[in-house]
Amino acid sequence: MERLERFFLKRYIEAPKRNLFRFSFVFMVLGIMLSVGILSAGLHLFQGYESTLRKLLLDSFSHIGISSAYGEMISEAQYEEIISYTDAFPEIESTIPMLGFPLMAQKNDKIRAASLKAYPDMADPPFAKYISLGKKNISEGEVIVGHYLMQELNLAIGDTLNLNYPRLDQITPLGIPSTRSDFRIAGVYRSGYYENDRSMVVVTMANARELMMQPDGYSKIELQLEDPGRAAQLNHRISAILGPDFISIPWNYHAESLLRLVAMEKWLIFIVFSFLVLIAGINVISTVSTIIIDQKAEIAVLKTLGASRRTIHRMLVYRVGMVGVLSVFAGQVLGALLSWFVEHQSFYRLKGDVYFIDTLGAKITLPNLAIIFAVATALIFICIMIPLRQIDRMQIIEVIRNKH
Amino acid sequence: MILSARHLTKTYIDSDQTIEVLKDASLDVQTGNMISITGKSGCGKSTMLHIMGLLDAPDSGELYICGERVHSESKSAPMIRNRDLGFVFQFHYLIEDLTAVENVILPMLIAGNQESHARLKAKEILALLGLAERFNRYPNQLSGGEQQRVSLARALINQPKIVFADEPTGNLDPVHSNEVWEMIMNLNRELNQAFVVVTHDVEAANRAHKSYELIDGRLNLKKG
Repeated sequence: MERLERFFLKRYIEAPKRNLFRFSFVFMVLGIMLSVGILSAGLHLFQGYESTLRKLLLDSFSHIGISSAYGEMISEAQYEEIISYTDAFPEIESTIPMLGFPLMAQKNDKIRAASLKAYPDMADPPFAKYISLGKKNISEGEVIVGHYLMQELNLAIGDTLNLNYPRLDQITPLGIPSTRSDFRIAGVYRSGYYENDRSMVVVTMANARELMMQPDGYSKIELQLEDPGRAAQLNHRISAILGPDFISIPWNYHAESLLRLVAMEKWLIFIVFSFLVLIAGINVISTVSTIIIDQKAEIAVLKTLGASRRTIHRMLVYRVGMVGVLSVFAGQVLGALLSWFVEHQSFYRLKGDVYFIDTLGAKITLPNLAIIFAVATALIFICIMIPLRQIDRMQIIEVIRNKH
Repeated sequence: MILSARHLTKTYIDSDQTIEVLKDASLDVQTGNMISITGKSGCGKSTMLHIMGLLDAPDSGELYICGERVHSESKSAPMIRNRDLGFVFQFHYLIEDLTAVENVILPMLIAGNQESHARLKAKEILALLGLAERFNRYPNQLSGGEQQRVSLARALINQPKIVFADEPTGNLDPVHSNEVWEMIMNLNRELNQAFVVVTHDVEAANRAHKSYELIDGRLNLKKG
């Protein structure tokens, strides 16, 4: 940096009011702040959506699910055998057997499809962290019901819910027989993952067996991992050990494409919103052009005194660039505030049946902040450079003559 | 010889008219010279000065500064303007956002000198020109005469070989005008500083050692 450039840079920093906070900068600053604010809020919210969805998917489903290759139940002996295999993998946090099947939930004349799950007695069952009301450890005759299913059937804690399991395997000329039982609602399940909140019912293992008329066995063995990111790799190894009698499916198999789609949408939104910064860049071009026209006498004098074209370019770049960079920072703060507002407002909720989750959450990450800063700053600096060619075309003598 | 202008010609085309403002104009400047150029408004005095100051290019002719042939478009022109030439214009052309001292140090900073050193020197020159109390004033806080003296200080700070002054008192009242002329004469006398002054003030021009008049594009020696 040349001494003249350093001198002006120092002056801009020491006397920002005189050099930087000019009226000609107002619309440029506002444009950058708003566009970067919207870009940031969009990215933070999409990042929040992606993270929430990912977390819910990983928390709501097993990381690897093992079931029989022939559609049969997994016997207690087979379960023990599977445990003996999975124990050899320290990456596996838990191996839990589960009995699950689709059924009908009925309250008076309202009937809804539901998905029943039952786990063996344990202190902290897999669904426990999402019990929003009532108790997480249920007894015989009690049921935990998903939040939206409760709403659809107008249910409250303590009400009775009838669960009806149609025996599709025993169709007769008189119709489909079914087993049914009444359960008292003891807890509400609310994870934020709409599909589960709308269909989940949890009963004890004994009650589930009665409904299903299945004295033993499990429909699936659920493995939870320390690092769900390694599920596909680990599944490959487990599958090789289990042999052809079992099918093991990692969570990625169902959810990866959805998460990829969400991530792609996030970056599409980022690209679209980046155009807003580019539009704000038009204000930057206009501001730099105004400065050049406004201060052409000063520029001509500096050229007369021997300042090079490059030095004058840089002086302008520093001046407008500093305001631009500060505006980007301010825009990022505005974006964070906007995200906070959207996250905490109460007048709009996501439609769970469309977006999978029903709450908007924002997540501010350092890489995203850095990407926004880099892209916005690069666009602004490109816009600063465009009008600088006017300086090259400026004839000192014309400027000096025209003042006369 | 500091500067030698040989057979300069310059033509402007205005609508359908071709105006030849300089015809075979030649001028030599030596150390310590005090040269004035007079002439009617628009006769080409300023053009002559701008060509000699490497701010404009002649249509033909040659220009030598310290024996080296130069041109306003040559790569070394900005460096020569910074190192060897000083400029004072009718309008002071001070940078409004800089104080008097800061305006004066600009040529030294462009030359690559340290700011602290430049500030010391600027203060010396400003004091010499009677502006010791005005170091930290902004141009709009100075009178017309003071502004022109700051501009003169800026022209002198790099100890140029020649200072070109284009109507330096054209925008001043008689009192301030006389003040600036006195200052130029003193600097020429005491520091042996060469000046080429363009003016339409014939009386003031006669105070110079050599006086030229530009008539119909031709430079005629009137005195010296």
